[in-house]
Amino acid sequence: MQRDQPDRRVAVTGIGAVCGLGWGIPSLWAGLRAGQTGIGPFQRFDHSQHRTHLAAEVEAPPALLARACPGWRRLSIADRFALFAALEAVATAGLPAPFGVGDEDDAETGVYFGSSTGGMYESELFFAEFLRDPRRARLSALIPQQVNAPGDAVARLFGVTGPVVTYSSACASGALALGAALDAVRSGLVEVAIAGGSDSLCQLTYAGFNSLRSVDEVPCRPFRAERAGMSFGEGAAVLVLEPLERALERGAEPLAVFAGAGASCDAHHMTAPDPSGAGAAAALEAALADAGLAAGTIDFVNVHGTGTPLNDAAEWQALQRVFGERAGGMPLVATKALIGHLLGCSGAIEAVATVLCLRHGELHPVRRDGEADPELPVALVLDEPLPLAGARAAVSTSLAFGGSNAALVFSRWAGRAA
Amino acid sequence: MREPVFVTGLGTLGAWGSGCDGLAAALAAGAPLTVEVDRAAGYHLPGGARRACLMPAGSLAGWLSPAESRRMSPPSKLAVAASRMGLRCAGLDTAGETAGEAGEAGTAVVIATAFGPSTNTETLLKQILFENPEAASPSLFMESVANAPAAQIAIALKARGASLTICQREAGPLIALGTGAAEIAAGRAGRVLAGSVDEMTPLLHALLDRFGALARAGADGEELARPFDRRRNGFLAGEGGAVAVLESAAGLAARGGRALARILAWGSAFDPTATPSGWGRGHRALARGLRRTLERAGVEPESVDLVVSGAAGSIDGDRLEAEVLRAVWAGAPLPPVAAPKAVTGEYGGGHLAAAVLAAAGHPLGPTPGCADPELGLSPLDGSPLPAPSVVLATGLAAGGAAAWVVLGRA
Repeated sequence: MQRDQPDRRVAVTGIGAVCGLGWGIPSLWAGLRAGQTGIGPFQRFDHSQHRTHLAAEVEAPPALLARACPGWRRLSIADRFALFAALEAVATAGLPAPFGVGDEDDAETGVYFGSSTGGMYESELFFAEFLRDPRRARLSALIPQQVNAPGDAVARLFGVTGPVVTYSSACASGALALGAALDAVRSGLVEVAIAGGSDSLCQLTYAGFNSLRSVDEVPCRPFRAERAGMSFGEGAAVLVLEPLERALERGAEPLAVFAGAGASCDAHHMTAPDPSGAGAAAALEAALADAGLAAGTIDFVNVHGTGTPLNDAAEWQALQRVFGERAGGMPLVATKALIGHLLGCSGAIEAVATVLCLRHGELHPVRRDGEADPELPVALVLDEPLPLAGARAAVSTSLAFGGSNAALVFSRWAGRAA
Repeated sequence: MREPVFVTGLGTLGAWGSGCDGLAAALAAGAPLTVEVDRAAGYHLPGGARRACLMPAGSLAGWLSPAESRRMSPPSKLAVAASRMGLRCAGLDTAGETAGEAGEAGTAVVIATAFGPSTNTETLLKQILFENPEAASPSLFMESVANAPAAQIAIALKARGASLTICQREAGPLIALGTGAAEIAAGRAGRVLAGSVDEMTPLLHALLDRFGALARAGADGEELARPFDRRRNGFLAGEGGAVAVLESAAGLAARGGRALARILAWGSAFDPTATPSGWGRGHRALARGLRRTLERAGVEPESVDLVVSGAAGSIDGDRLEAEVLRAVWAGAPLPPVAAPKAVTGEYGGGHLAAAVLAAAGHPLGPTPGCADPELGLSPLDGSPLPAPSVVLATGLAAGGAAAWVVLGRA
């Protein structure tokens, strides 16, 4: 790391999100708190020939949004999600935008984004037409195809002139982007980071995960005995990060402290997690070390919790490695059970959910679908929100295809005196 | 930087075949390594670009097991082979696949790709869209994700540090190198395999040409990239892989290895005036990013001996690159500028590898197709130059991103 300044504490000062529960943080938190699922029948594409038929699809966008975003019609769905979440997060943070025009004394702003497929949905439409008749396909439909398009669109909207980097490490992309943003703010490389992820439903991933038989035919049931795979979701989530002192000086109220991040690789298999959980545990331990926190200070975990038999089992092993005897009693939040798996955005939106749980002092539940798995004796928060006003810190995990693992640690902001 | 970071090994594959010797010879000769692209599928426009810098058959021989060759996507094969080459170049034992034994901090992998595994994605989409979604092949799907190359490196070499895949188009390779250096400097990894891979399929080539991005035959009938030349009209598409082995000074000293180059600093910036697929006019913002990168390296612009530019023959991209450099040098004489993508093609890591080789003292030859330079730069013309002490590698991307890495002599 190139350090322009000594390490600084980093605050989350803004959050924004869109997912199957709706557009905006109020919809997200209301849905999460109610244990409401956004997973159901969906319309994005004809899925009659696919093996499964559910997803947490985002409803039509607010009419006003198009006016706030230049070139709206040419943007991919993933770009639109990203712009909405970023606009909401920056507004929450109370930051004036655009951020910089390249003057020497401008505070540096960076964009750190994660995405698995970017504008793949639009690429599929183009590709289908192009292969039928190359003369008729509209080339402009391909422009937002790039995986980096959502992050670039955010940078363009806000006039960002600092670093803009997109991570595409499958389901860990969003979390890895947040880790990079933390590093950049902490080290003084940037003063403000707009960090998150965006992905939309597309046939490639829908058919691909179904081909692996990793998709449940009913809404996913993380850590339950009859779990049979994941459910798809889509959306975007963005967090605004800045040095804690800077945030306080400008009168912003930190939503949480972003305390640490860690990453590792299973180096085991392209799709199956290391059943020992060693790789995931390494990411968790690295994140705790980065935060300077002992495992005993973590009061809940927002688990990756896809609902696939192998993934949940490996994650349970990892939790036991890190938290020892406390693992069984550790409250677990399984956000994917309500909003589906947002792939490259999942780490970002689950970070937002973690911040919301810390901020509100209660953990969101999931529905009690079926029996508990006796092999995975976890303390999943079920049916009702779990009050946890004194929660000090939490971890959010992302365990991806290819064995790429990431863990993020957030601490509750309890004021200057704490 | 807290901890000095060194490049201790380099593995490359591309139009030059496999290995640094082939690339160094191609760069010294300054001749583009193009072949005819397969246009049989009918994706290409009549009169469009015909040539690209493609890997010769057999370049991967000896670097992959039969099982790896069967199951991996083309970019994954490039990534694993280049990593093994890089480790061998660094004097590290690959027979026992010991990349993971880099001390307690382990080995991290940072790979950039502009397009990911294109062959697998194209085949999979044909299955899904034109056969039946249930015809989708699971083995193709698992190797269609952008992070498959990084994951396969980790699996093959037991690299258990962070596994990062960066997609930032033409700026990605230098961002990957910088991100890898950051992993070492922060003490999160004892060793890093950092680089870039991309394949160039006929479909991708045809689409890039339909966007008007590729070089077309000029009045002389030659399809050349011509960076910084008045007649430039696009880039040559390329494919390949380049993976650098990065180590800390302490790690290198502990094993008694030798270094190719030292990474002095890196940086990136964004030009928000760029369109999603084009180039902007925001050279001031990018110049600020470059100035800050040089400041972090502790290097004055006048101390840069050679610029290894990512310019590839784009009319607007090369102009923006020149404007950025001129703004930073602010009237002072610019150092010589190399544009190796005219030899290696755009994508596949040839530029990144060329920058490391230049810093290691390998001479770069003339810039192909640049007989009539404009934009106030001095592209290499084949005149002998002293070995550089400080090399600036630049990587501007269509869409707005930019990255720089400052390399010093080891």
